[in-house]
Amino acid sequence: MGFGGIWAGVLCATLLSAGGVRGQAEYAVSARTLKNGMKVLVQTDHSIPNVALYIFYRIGSRNERPGTTGLSHFFEHMMFNGAKKYGPGDLDKVMEANGGANNAYTTRDVTVYQDWFPRAALSLIYDIESDRIRDLNFDPQKVKSEREVVASERRLSVDNENGGVLDEQLWATSYIAHPYQWPVIGWMSDIEHWTMEDLKHHFEMGYSPNNATMVVVGDATADEIFRLCETYIEPIPTHPPPPAVTTVEPPQTGERRLIVHKRAELPLLMVGYHVPQSNSSDFYALNILRTILFQGESSRMYQRLVDKDQIALEVTSGLEPSFDPTMVEVVAQPKQGVDPQACEKAIYEEFERVGSAAISDTELEKAKNIRLVEFYRQMRTINGRANTIGTYEVFFGDYNKLFETAKNYSAVTKEDVRRVAKVYFDANNRTVATLLPENAEKAKP
Amino acid sequence: MRRGLRRIRRLLTVAAMVVLACTVSLAQTLHLPPHERVVLKNGLTLLLLEKRGVPLVNISAIVKAGAAADPAGEEGLAATTAGLLRKGTKKRSAQQFAADLDYIGGEFEAEAGPDFTTINMEFQTKDFARGLDLYADVLIHPAFPQQEAEKFLAQEIDGVKAAKDDPQSVMMSYYSGYLYGMHPYGHPPAGDEISLKQIRREDAAKFYATNYAPGNTILAVAGEFNAAEMKAKLSEAFGAWESRAVNSAAIPGVVPSKEKRLLLVDKPDASQTYFAIGNTGIAANDPDRVAIRVVNTIFGGRFTSELNEALRVESGYTYGAQSFFDQRKVPGPFVIFSFTKNETTTPAIDLTLQVLAKLHKEGVTQDQLKSAKSYIKGQFPPNIETSRQLARTIATHEFYGLGDDEVNELEARLDAVTPEMARQVIQKHFPAENLLFVLIGKASAIGPAVQKYAANQDTRLLSDPGFWPAPATGKK
Repeated sequence: MGFGGIWAGVLCATLLSAGGVRGQAEYAVSARTLKNGMKVLVQTDHSIPNVALYIFYRIGSRNERPGTTGLSHFFEHMMFNGAKKYGPGDLDKVMEANGGANNAYTTRDVTVYQDWFPRAALSLIYDIESDRIRDLNFDPQKVKSEREVVASERRLSVDNENGGVLDEQLWATSYIAHPYQWPVIGWMSDIEHWTMEDLKHHFEMGYSPNNATMVVVGDATADEIFRLCETYIEPIPTHPPPPAVTTVEPPQTGERRLIVHKRAELPLLMVGYHVPQSNSSDFYALNILRTILFQGESSRMYQRLVDKDQIALEVTSGLEPSFDPTMVEVVAQPKQGVDPQACEKAIYEEFERVGSAAISDTELEKAKNIRLVEFYRQMRTINGRANTIGTYEVFFGDYNKLFETAKNYSAVTKEDVRRVAKVYFDANNRTVATLLPENAEKAKP
Repeated sequence: MRRGLRRIRRLLTVAAMVVLACTVSLAQTLHLPPHERVVLKNGLTLLLLEKRGVPLVNISAIVKAGAAADPAGEEGLAATTAGLLRKGTKKRSAQQFAADLDYIGGEFEAEAGPDFTTINMEFQTKDFARGLDLYADVLIHPAFPQQEAEKFLAQEIDGVKAAKDDPQSVMMSYYSGYLYGMHPYGHPPAGDEISLKQIRREDAAKFYATNYAPGNTILAVAGEFNAAEMKAKLSEAFGAWESRAVNSAAIPGVVPSKEKRLLLVDKPDASQTYFAIGNTGIAANDPDRVAIRVVNTIFGGRFTSELNEALRVESGYTYGAQSFFDQRKVPGPFVIFSFTKNETTTPAIDLTLQVLAKLHKEGVTQDQLKSAKSYIKGQFPPNIETSRQLARTIATHEFYGLGDDEVNELEARLDAVTPEMARQVIQKHFPAENLLFVLIGKASAIGPAVQKYAANQDTRLLSDPGFWPAPATGKK
């Protein structure tokens, strides 16, 4: 199979003339639930002779407890360190020798495994994946060296990175009850102390086929994928999924503040606001609000903090998919000599302005246009599509919701935007984290 | 995450694209989609490529002047010129451009790499007329307003400081400065705290007038459109750009470092040491580039590479270790990069040197060659999957004088790499003795121990302005 598929192109050309938003008709997904409970989603695309295979396990740091924080992420690493048929090191060697590559990521909610490979390696990849889901092996030597690798990863992404340090402190302060309070990578003392028993228990708990969703996008048909699943995946027995996380974070009733003193060139500011989980009906209005405020150089926050007041280098916001109520994080990089509190004040005023006065038609239309283009950007690679289809299935409960996003954003009104600004971006609901350079004389006004 | 070396790669965006475009391969059944090349009367080279899948269009221009063209003392001028394009034109203010761009959900980036500047914009096919108008406006009619220039430069200076809070993101600026010295490749692409203070709006306007001309520009457009229709519209929009003679200075040749040298950048609070080791590498058109790509894949270009196996998988010294050749007009840097906690700094560097010595002594095996070739072929197609990637690929090929064969013939070229060729490129292109070391770490903890690596050593503080070793420190 070569590039000819693209140039057939008739399908897409027809769609283009229709002028509507592309969706299920153009990116048709086939779904099947295997007898052991694993759901498999397939989207065929012959544009390149490659396949992206993602497995989403519904287990992340929210399923951990104090003392073993970071275990889900450590486990993610161990999934590459040997099973029954493919021993330590074999998985990577065999995969790469056959033109494939892999990676994985862990969040507060899920652990996701990613394989990218030429279609010729399809059955090999299934052989590898089934081997490690069924018969993961725990070599004490590998546990020892991988512990060091993860400690190095923590030093890289947290300890020697100001954004990493501050973000960790923000979540730890904003959450007092719910497991979102600890970092995905884990506290260093926990990284140093997990036991073999902890690892085995984690595997038992999280890695049952009925706790996973597989997404395959690329140069493969649904029929051949379902056949491979019957051979390799379906015979894997199920076991009970992780216990429900029942802790509910109590409402925050007053501003919380924290300071990190650290050697640094510039200060840093993060403000977190509690918001509902991904499948909440306010999700779309929240994103439209964030787009109006933060996206692009015409956004209100950029215009105010970077362009007009010139107090920040950058001001952004983030909202990750989540099972439980989460946070919108606002990050501002103050300019040298600017008191981070000046950035805070400007940010609060801009939130207030949305809550108290109307936004314009143009702003609302702009936000919807930006969201639509973003949808196409996610859909333009087999990799992006696999991740997006899986994210919608796992966090929104149904991959079909992906194809309703344009419609759902369209339905957001100015009043919706005003309401979410008022409800969630309130002083009592925020946690403010500030990093102040220890050699701070330079950074003070 | 299992692999976290993305940040250093991201910093090399432009350079990395070049590497991809020049050295990777794909299965024989694969080829670049057909595309058309037209040279307009004013000298502009126009490349057109139809790509279906999502209703987006990407315009990507290469202006043949980058950071290497920055005058001494004004490092960052090419980047400043690129950054100011959107900050005001003859008919639009910066704010108006932002409003018009964001309204259509468009994305715009303009950045300077060592060899050239790229100006990239993407938008929906249905917004083509608006998008093209915006793009042509900033490329042909920038006004460089005084106030916007001042704002931009003040932000860029703070941007350098912010980058220094993340050692990975500044490693290549220190490394290039130390390796190339006063050669144009020693310029930090975004400038530094000292040089940016010297730049005025007039300098950017002059850099634009000198280098931005149709005859000095390659414009690649890829996406979902009808090429014939598109050619007419683009010819109209860019045909009006007045032609101008351009005298770009050629980038001088490169002499590899002839001695062992070590620069220690002191970050007193560091709990780990970041290290880069190497020398100069190869040019984009080096005839050995395919064989080098294969050998480097084995040595430090993938997860199961010799370096990553030794430093991560077997010893747990680090989260990742890699090596790469940044291929440019004249030889760019060859770099081995990794990091490890303070206590294991010398064991990790010793091991790195052993892996390099082993490459020279034992070469690579037949099995490794076979595996690396499969890996390169299998991982290539996603590099030319999107309109943006395709536009940049054909534009960089055009810039470096490389043809479509770079992609279309690569499988054959890969298959032709023999153990003997591998042996030769190791000897010729992978440095063995005269290595350059750049370390960012806690000097009080690692300083004495790393003295063994080079007789010539320089030190500086991370917070000292700039990236070059201060002239006063000199050799010890």
